[in-house]
Amino acid sequence: MNSVLIALLVLSAPLAFICTAFISWYQPGLRPKLVKTFGNISSLISIVAAAISGFFIAQNGLQEFGVFGLGIRLDALSMIMFGMIALIGFIVLRFSINYLDGDERQGRFLGRMAFTLAAVQLLVLSGTLGLLLLSWVMASSGLHRLLIFYRERIAAQVAARKKFIIARIGDFFLLTAAALLYQEFGTGNLELIFQGIQNQMAVSAISTQLEIAALCVALAAMLKSAQFPTHGWLPEVMESPTPVSALLHAGLLNAGPFLLIRFAHIFEATTYVSYLVVIIGGFTALFGSVVFLTQTSIKTSLAYSSIAHMGFSLMVSGLGAFPAALLHLVAHSFYKAHAFLSSGSIVEVKRASKVERVLRTGNPLRIALGLILALAVYLGFARIWGMDLENNLPLIAIGAVIVMGLSTLFIAAIDSNGSVKLMLRAAFMAIAVATAFFTLESGMHHILEAGLPAPKMQTVGMKVVVALLLSAFSGVVFIQLLAPKWAEKSQYRALAIHLKNGLYINVLFDRWIGALRIGLASKSFDKEALTEGTSYQEQNGAEDLEYVEELIAK
Amino acid sequence: MTQSIEKVHKMAKNAKGNQAIAEILRKACKKIAPVWPLENFVAVNPYLGLADRKFDQAAKELAAAGGVQMTMPLSFYITKIEEGILTSDHLATALKKKGSKMPLGDFMETLNKMEVFPTALLINTVADTLSEATGKDWGRLMLNRVSAWAAAYFDGGQAAWNTSETSKGPFADWKEEASIDRTPELSGLKGFRACIKSLPENHLEAADFVLKELGVSDVASEMYLHGLLLRVGGWAAFAARIDWDNELYGKKDGVLIEFLSILLAWEYALHQTLSTEKTSFKWKSSIAQMMDWKSKESWNLSIQHKLILQEAFDNAMQEQVIAKFKTLKKKARKPKKISTQAIFCIDVRSEVYRRNLEMVDNGVETFGFAGFFAFPINFTPLGHSEGEANCPVLLKTGPNIHESLLNKDDEVKAIQARKLNRQIRQVWKSFRSGAITCFSFVSPIGLSYLPKLFSDSFGLTRPVAHPNDAGLSQKLAKDKRVSITSSADTASGIPLAQQITMAKNALNAMSLTDDFADLILVVGHGSSTVNNPHATGYDCGACGGHTGEANAKVAAAVLNNKDVRAGLQAENIFIPIETTFLACLHDTTTDEVTIYNEEDVPESRKAALEHLKDSLVLAGKGARTERALRMPIEAGTDSEKSLIFRSKDWSETRPEWGLAGCDAFVVAPREITQDIDFGGKSFLHSYEHSKDQNYAVLELIMTAPMVVTSWISLQYFASTVDNRVFGSGNKTLHNVTSGIGVFEGGSGDLRVGLPLQAIHDGEIYQHNPVRLNVILRAPLEAMNTILDKHEGVRNLCDNGWLNLLHMDDEGNIAHRYAGNLLWEAIK
Repeated sequence: MNSVLIALLVLSAPLAFICTAFISWYQPGLRPKLVKTFGNISSLISIVAAAISGFFIAQNGLQEFGVFGLGIRLDALSMIMFGMIALIGFIVLRFSINYLDGDERQGRFLGRMAFTLAAVQLLVLSGTLGLLLLSWVMASSGLHRLLIFYRERIAAQVAARKKFIIARIGDFFLLTAAALLYQEFGTGNLELIFQGIQNQMAVSAISTQLEIAALCVALAAMLKSAQFPTHGWLPEVMESPTPVSALLHAGLLNAGPFLLIRFAHIFEATTYVSYLVVIIGGFTALFGSVVFLTQTSIKTSLAYSSIAHMGFSLMVSGLGAFPAALLHLVAHSFYKAHAFLSSGSIVEVKRASKVERVLRTGNPLRIALGLILALAVYLGFARIWGMDLENNLPLIAIGAVIVMGLSTLFIAAIDSNGSVKLMLRAAFMAIAVATAFFTLESGMHHILEAGLPAPKMQTVGMKVVVALLLSAFSGVVFIQLLAPKWAEKSQYRALAIHLKNGLYINVLFDRWIGALRIGLASKSFDKEALTEGTSYQEQNGAEDLEYVEELIAK
Repeated sequence: MTQSIEKVHKMAKNAKGNQAIAEILRKACKKIAPVWPLENFVAVNPYLGLADRKFDQAAKELAAAGGVQMTMPLSFYITKIEEGILTSDHLATALKKKGSKMPLGDFMETLNKMEVFPTALLINTVADTLSEATGKDWGRLMLNRVSAWAAAYFDGGQAAWNTSETSKGPFADWKEEASIDRTPELSGLKGFRACIKSLPENHLEAADFVLKELGVSDVASEMYLHGLLLRVGGWAAFAARIDWDNELYGKKDGVLIEFLSILLAWEYALHQTLSTEKTSFKWKSSIAQMMDWKSKESWNLSIQHKLILQEAFDNAMQEQVIAKFKTLKKKARKPKKISTQAIFCIDVRSEVYRRNLEMVDNGVETFGFAGFFAFPINFTPLGHSEGEANCPVLLKTGPNIHESLLNKDDEVKAIQARKLNRQIRQVWKSFRSGAITCFSFVSPIGLSYLPKLFSDSFGLTRPVAHPNDAGLSQKLAKDKRVSITSSADTASGIPLAQQITMAKNALNAMSLTDDFADLILVVGHGSSTVNNPHATGYDCGACGGHTGEANAKVAAAVLNNKDVRAGLQAENIFIPIETTFLACLHDTTTDEVTIYNEEDVPESRKAALEHLKDSLVLAGKGARTERALRMPIEAGTDSEKSLIFRSKDWSETRPEWGLAGCDAFVVAPREITQDIDFGGKSFLHSYEHSKDQNYAVLELIMTAPMVVTSWISLQYFASTVDNRVFGSGNKTLHNVTSGIGVFEGGSGDLRVGLPLQAIHDGEIYQHNPVRLNVILRAPLEAMNTILDKHEGVRNLCDNGWLNLLHMDDEGNIAHRYAGNLLWEAIK
């Protein structure tokens, strides 16, 4: 098949979504039949386009296609991301069509969602700096309009404002990076830039300009993925319908790690930026996954979980293990989309949990046995797969995290008053997890290898950083394992309270933007929101709203 | 010596002072109705604590204290006038009834000017006063902080690392957290923690201290404390529910009183950290307003006007209900051969199914009775470690009943399997959700959610197993029974003598003591929904927010017990040997009926059973066709398929209409109502007063089901007229908190009541906000005697929380209750 045809096929997907968004202008309201139909068709087109083009690229390798500096790039990375977004898009749109049935502005909602999907698709397909920048901003503005969908909600406005500020700073960094790269290499074409970098490396003359550009890209990625200390907005943007959260956490947050993987060549060429990414990503992973434990509402806890997973992905990319980062990214997307969409089921989980649980015995021998088993499973598999663990820092790091997980599985079962059956099942699960990990990991490596730079040698400094991070990680895991009841001790209470509040970063951010100021909601900078018609909620409680306003105005 | 005497003196004085303040706080707390957790979300009358006041009085108090509306927006009534549903007759009658001397023309005239009258709240808290002065919304900060604390303190298992110590009382725990949490200070409340630390440790002393410091007198405190509780009304209601349960089982209240003390402490801290001379002056005028809020004339008038409109709307809707009985064709019935009797729950959803069942099979006679069938059990599902109250929340639970399986060997294995399943999930969860280990979960396992996303989307799988079937095979799930035999080992079952008494009481209360058919269905009900936090709200309220499955099984098992039947003969109740009671479940979402104990039917009656099963299928089809008309189903789609898919769709926010639309409760023999199409909006209770000695059954009906139906109707009413306060808002924004409730979006108060989607279809309200019309076919004197005896019931009727109507023996609605044990004739 002709590569131009393939490019057109791929582009038909975002085009169809943009058409859906256009149609929503004419059917912005209740039960928008045409928008729903077009939405469904568009998401089907996406899946078909992803399947066919994915197959084609697998056969033929990298393809580029472009006009006026707005080119697309079809390679393994973009096809995986494109396919993932097609699948998530299908699910999320389908969900929204029924979930928001009866909403007075459902048409508008679906339109905005379609627009955002188109933007994200273009983002991952970008083959030039121009399209990358354009789609980056498009995706951000699409998301913003989804986040303030119920614009009368004060909390929605506050959260969206924070998101808006962070996003603009991120835009600035990406723009700077693009300008620097363009200036350096005289082209906006990513492939040419990557070749240019390789040429520079061949003569081992990496310019400062490139180093700064890499820093800017990394900062843009970290801001996009809600890394500490800019994470504050994410746990708060539940102020829009559930599918928006699903799309955000499964689609848009990914833009950060994606950006790093896309610019893998730059990071492999530079020296210092990786440190920043590994440290911030690693710390955020730790922070998010501990704060997650203290959260009392389902969606907020999921948000902290996403912050942590993005941190982990970034950390892994910072270490140069781009295939592992991508695997984590894609797996997290499906996991988190499901977690959000099914968040209403938590009550059923609770109702089903009134069956006797097992209790931990806290026996050191059993804990040690669990640890040994976990190590044995991991090393056994590594041997079977023929992995060279000794000289591969990223693999050691990821491997350590996997061992921590496996040992949790083993210890939770072995160090308990449960039956032998339970222990056997836990062993089976551990082996299944290890098998899945090694299979997927090597699969992803195989798929991506061609497009990635050769891994650089890790410096001593990086080894120290990784060692520090890993000891912090294992410290947290073993405190969880060794002292299952530690959390109930009151000396930990102060720590727990500070963590529950996300170390107050968000409070400071709130204060800075004047979140408590009365009338913030009405002074929206979103002009379009102000000129729109009334919403479902508002009409139902028009007088209630008057009351709220009166209360506020008093 | 003298010193210690002084000390004792002081302590005694303190105790006395504490008692006084406790009474003041308790009085305010009693105005807050409880809310149940989502795992058994039963309907509650949100005005419960105000039922001793007139409806209109409560409307004014709530509006003043919390800005709560008890009527619809003006536009609603004006539309009804334009549509001709509200006529000038209705309005004139309502004006007269409310004692307004205003001519109708003037009244209509003022309606156009209503906009200018403020209807907002009149009671300002310290937070409100300071917000106004500083331009910053301190009330929102206080709401969010108190809610964040409450979500942790009342957490039912969401957070793996809970920041609260529930062994401490609420106030002590909060005080400790507030002395650690830096949020208020970082938000601009300098010295907040020091201020909280300086408060007395005891919550009553703290509350007393605060009220004195703020200068709130006892008189002013009544409205102030009520208003304060309404500011965080959701969590207050949750605390009230804990007190409710404690009081039901003879323990002490006090959780809500502590909660109120927390709010007072916040007010004090705001006052201390932000007050200036100017704001102090403003606060003094706020206090003054707390005492003479009733004197605001224009404010009163605007509420009064809306109350008149609501009264008129109630009249108009009542007329439609009464009219149904007038058009009744009084045709002589052919005596028919009854082969099956079916006892359904009084729930409005049963009405549609009953009518359709009677239509497709004239050998079926149906009855209406509260869906727990007078068996208030504490039910323990297979393998569970504790029981759940399967009875109305007004009652204490009776016998403990354990779930069992047909086959004993299966049962032992199934319990083991269920426990193992639970433990595996527990182990898996510690891996999946642990800090750091979550990363090793996602990389290898995350991709497996892709097929699940698709199968869940198409309704092929559920996101999580149904709690009733979790950890059980499909086959075994069908074999679930209950064990009623009394057993000392498990402290469960019902002794024979008690079985006989319960059976007798149940049959008497159902007016079913002779002419038993061969097959008698005991039909409980439940719903099928997926991924719906409010799922149990669609289940049976009479079974305490569970399905009626267990209660129906217990009722059938007891009534099939040969020894029980032998015992009943002594009570003059003779159940023929061929008669089998069949436990059934009516799925209100799909209108399918499942029979559980078919094996109990004797061989000679199997043919009749097969015939009945066909009738049940046909009736289900009929009921679905009828219900589909009310559902927002897109034109051109197969309505039958679409209706069933709603029970499997994880994105469904309107699986069924539940009890939306309920406007009447008819207590009469079924013959009288059989030809009336109530459209699934009427509760039906079977009752034959000629069989009722001393009107004991009538008394039971008026004190239990009548109260419960009024609770349901008032819950729908409140969620419709003010969804902000007494409804739970938009389902698409729901965020389940602490495993017990929802809030909207990312923060805020716990929400009580029904979501918007449960009452509104996007175009119109599916529930008309009217007070329930209770139609009783019983002698007037008998009803008066009962009203006179039960103050709570009389309050509901006298104060306008429901409308009581009398049906004469011919089936006409003859009288309307006018309060004070007086009745007026209906033309």
